Amino acid sequence: MKKIFALVFLVFLFAVQFMNAYGIQRFPKPEFESGYVQPETLMPNPRAEVLAIMDIVVLIFCLSVVSWLVIKKRSRNKVFWMSLFALAYFGFYREGCICSIGSIQNVTLALFDTSYFIPLSAIIFFVAPLVYTLFFGRTFCAAVCPFGAIQDLVAFKPQKLGARLNAMLGVIPYVYLGLAVLYAATGTDFIICRYDPFVGIWRVNASFGMFVFGGLLLVSGIFIARPYCRFLCPYGVLLNWTSRFSRKHITITPAECIQCRLCKNSCPYDAIDMPVTGKNPDDKRTMGRKLIFITFLIPVLMLVGGWTGSRLHEQLAGVNGKVKLAKQILNPVSDKNQAETFEMEAFKSAGKQQSQAFAEAADVLHDFYIGGWILGGFIGLVFGGLIAGLLITKHHTDYTPNKGTCLSCVRCVDYCPVKVT
Amino acid sequence: MVNIDVIMKQKIIILAALTVLLVLIIFAVKDFFFSKPGNSNPYEFELDKVRTGDTSMAVWAETHQFKTTLEEIHGITTDASGTIYISGKDAVEMLDAEGKETGKFPVEGTAFCIALNQEGNLLLGMLDHIEIWNNAGKQLSRWNSCGSDAVITSIATRGNNVFVADAGQKVVYRYDKKGNLLNKIGLKDPATGVPGFIIPSAYFDLGISNDGNLWVVNPGRHSFEKYTFDGKILTSWGKASMAMEGFCGCCNPSNFAMLNDSLFVTSEKAIERVKIYNADGSFNSIVATPDLFEPGTKGLDLAVDKQNRILVLDPVKLMVHVFEPK
Amino acid sequence: MQNRRDFLNLLCRGTILTGLAATTGVLAYRSVKSGNCELGSSCSNCGKSDNCSLTEAVLYRSTVWQLDPAKCIQCGRCATNCVMTPSAVKATHVFAMCGYCDLCGGYLKPDTKNISTAAENQLCPTSAIKRKFVEDPFYQYTIDEPLCIGCAKCVKGCSAFGNGSLQLQVHHDRCKNCNQCAIARDCPADAYSRVPASKPYLLQGIESKPDDKQIG
Repeated sequence: MKKIFALVFLVFLFAVQFMNAYGIQRFPKPEFESGYVQPETLMPNPRAEVLAIMDIVVLIFCLSVVSWLVIKKRSRNKVFWMSLFALAYFGFYREGCICSIGSIQNVTLALFDTSYFIPLSAIIFFVAPLVYTLFFGRTFCAAVCPFGAIQDLVAFKPQKLGARLNAMLGVIPYVYLGLAVLYAATGTDFIICRYDPFVGIWRVNASFGMFVFGGLLLVSGIFIARPYCRFLCPYGVLLNWTSRFSRKHITITPAECIQCRLCKNSCPYDAIDMPVTGKNPDDKRTMGRKLIFITFLIPVLMLVGGWTGSRLHEQLAGVNGKVKLAKQILNPVSDKNQAETFEMEAFKSAGKQQSQAFAEAADVLHDFYIGGWILGGFIGLVFGGLIAGLLITKHHTDYTPNKGTCLSCVRCVDYCPVKVT
Repeated sequence: MVNIDVIMKQKIIILAALTVLLVLIIFAVKDFFFSKPGNSNPYEFELDKVRTGDTSMAVWAETHQFKTTLEEIHGITTDASGTIYISGKDAVEMLDAEGKETGKFPVEGTAFCIALNQEGNLLLGMLDHIEIWNNAGKQLSRWNSCGSDAVITSIATRGNNVFVADAGQKVVYRYDKKGNLLNKIGLKDPATGVPGFIIPSAYFDLGISNDGNLWVVNPGRHSFEKYTFDGKILTSWGKASMAMEGFCGCCNPSNFAMLNDSLFVTSEKAIERVKIYNADGSFNSIVATPDLFEPGTKGLDLAVDKQNRILVLDPVKLMVHVFEPK
Repeated sequence: MQNRRDFLNLLCRGTILTGLAATTGVLAYRSVKSGNCELGSSCSNCGKSDNCSLTEAVLYRSTVWQLDPAKCIQCGRCATNCVMTPSAVKATHVFAMCGYCDLCGGYLKPDTKNISTAAENQLCPTSAIKRKFVEDPFYQYTIDEPLCIGCAKCVKGCSAFGNGSLQLQVHHDRCKNCNQCAIARDCPADAYSRVPASKPYLLQGIESKPDDKQIG
């Protein structure tokens, strides 16, 4: 009985509250006498959700077909046509969102922030290409990713960069990936999407700066084939490493390599490993010394990197909105003539406590301190790996595609004189 | 020789392409870490320009600020002894002429407006009905609701008559002292020339002048309308303008009070200002300019006390501004 | 030698696959099995939206960007910072809140001498607001959507002088639903958030139109 009474009272209180709010907020409509009908407020619907499922279906279809074309059919021509299709669908029709490269950030944010809702398509776009790569090599890069497709189209005069330059530039994607994960995990920004060079081209609508950015990248792409894929793409890092353990992979020759060197210049991406026979790989003493040096070097580099990263955490966190706001509260505009920033204006009108803003900023800074250690350590590891790669030359005899960097574009196959017997 | 040339050319090309690539990366890094979003709005609405009034024209000066202890305030009135009554959320507060709190009593709900009758009892407009309280905090009576859509925004009383402004139903009710409805005033009637009240937001004030007629604000028409107690319209005045002489925004003035029984003290929202008009509707003088109030302050209720000071209720700063002639 | 390498490869492949499967599993469980509830952190008694008996809880499967007009300070960045030109953010008129005023703070410049539809009196930089006489003394104001650039000038005017029936909203037929909204990044008031696609508008004063198709 008591409970019911309490409930009735609660409902009554609620009603009173509501009445008040109603009375003040939705204040009286005019009474029209001319039979005027109030138009409805314009609220266009978002894209239907069914279409997100279509994206997933098209992605899986493209991955399957391209993998089959690469591994079984070994046809550059057909792969090229598939890449045009991907360019049209994922690029110009879907206008670059959702894409696998950006989905790294969605997945990261979802792992770190449970309140963030990750759509199913983002998960699939992240996982499916990796799984296919694990079995067939980087067929996603070959003809499913619109980024690769558009850069492939302009690679007219690809130049050889040489192993050393390739290895050094190859560090950039790791740094990019590390930063992207750091900023996504702290909920600061999605930097991969922010500096997406081609999104303006897909939409044929962007600021001048974005067009220049994409345009210049394409211009440099005439001479350095697929510059984004090789020296920027953070998703490429993940694909590179999964591809190294792939079950199957494109081979230049369908049978035995006859060392004819015809394929040597066929790869625009410097992804063909040449035979290394000059040095004696069995010199165990040199090898051992190198190995010991590297085992010492890598932890040292990681520590140095981590320490540097943690020192820089305030700079890294400086782009976070909460940290920016806290800084502005601490150092208000002293110049009377200078207008108050919009951030301060909004903060004041929201009526939030300063202490709350500081506490939020302190949380973010703490995250960045830890993130700085991890990011620095990761970059240290990458540099260690780079040095190790340059020091240790692996012995091998045939012309083979490098499983990590090969983009499975199937260009080299046409150059091989060996045909299936 | 030819071969070397080719190699040189190739190297230059690579170098150029790499430079472009690196410049792009440096640009992105610089943009990310060192750029600030601009703080200029190309589409700025220069509201501040309108909000600043010409203070040199003001012949009134603020002499006191009385703080209130209520958490939400809506109405103000004074009596012959100089006591100031402030109504608000869940309570009514009384201040003496110096602003010292002399009493406070709780009410149930929010009193959006307040008036004193001849017996010295308080009439409170509680959203949809009227309650009468004595100043000791005892409820004397509670009238029937004016309807579920009612939003009572003002009360005035003279003799046996109680006038209640209902912004929700856009009408003024005339009651007797007991709360019996005598007649409705201001319903649109082309035959008698009553234009009907246009009330786009919940601000709708009324008052009684010393010639025994009722003045009602018609905010949507930016005008004052004068009615007999029977509801016959006598005259009206008012001009819509952002300039000082007129009433700004969609619907103003929001409140008014009578000064010396012949002058109108008006307050506006949007451009928060308090001005005085002559009885014929001509502009008289400025009392308060917008710089005194927080932007967006609405519902500056007004009262004039026995010393002819103008009291302005500030529901955002939760205080009463007191003005005296310079 | 060859066998050992194959075995290592297999081992690594297995590890990566397991890792991917675990990540997918955790994320997909949240995304598919339980969907997500739009009450979010405002509701405390949750954890399992499957067993939720609240009628106001809406499950959703995807999100779109939207701004909260209650937080908006009309800084003008919606017009300048959207990746689209013109911006996908538009002034939206909630007719149910409008006072149909003659002297409209969202339509006329504040220093206007005479109320008229003359271009020099119009506040809107693109003349995207159409004024139509309804009956004395009411006027209807309609946004010419393609002309609107989302600068919020009228929004500021309306909220200062009127009822606040003009509000900025992301129009989803124009919004590309970028992974990270470029305006959200620079919004000084933090007014942008991902909202359920089944309830894609955050207008003040009216219920956003629920769309049956969208509810998962």
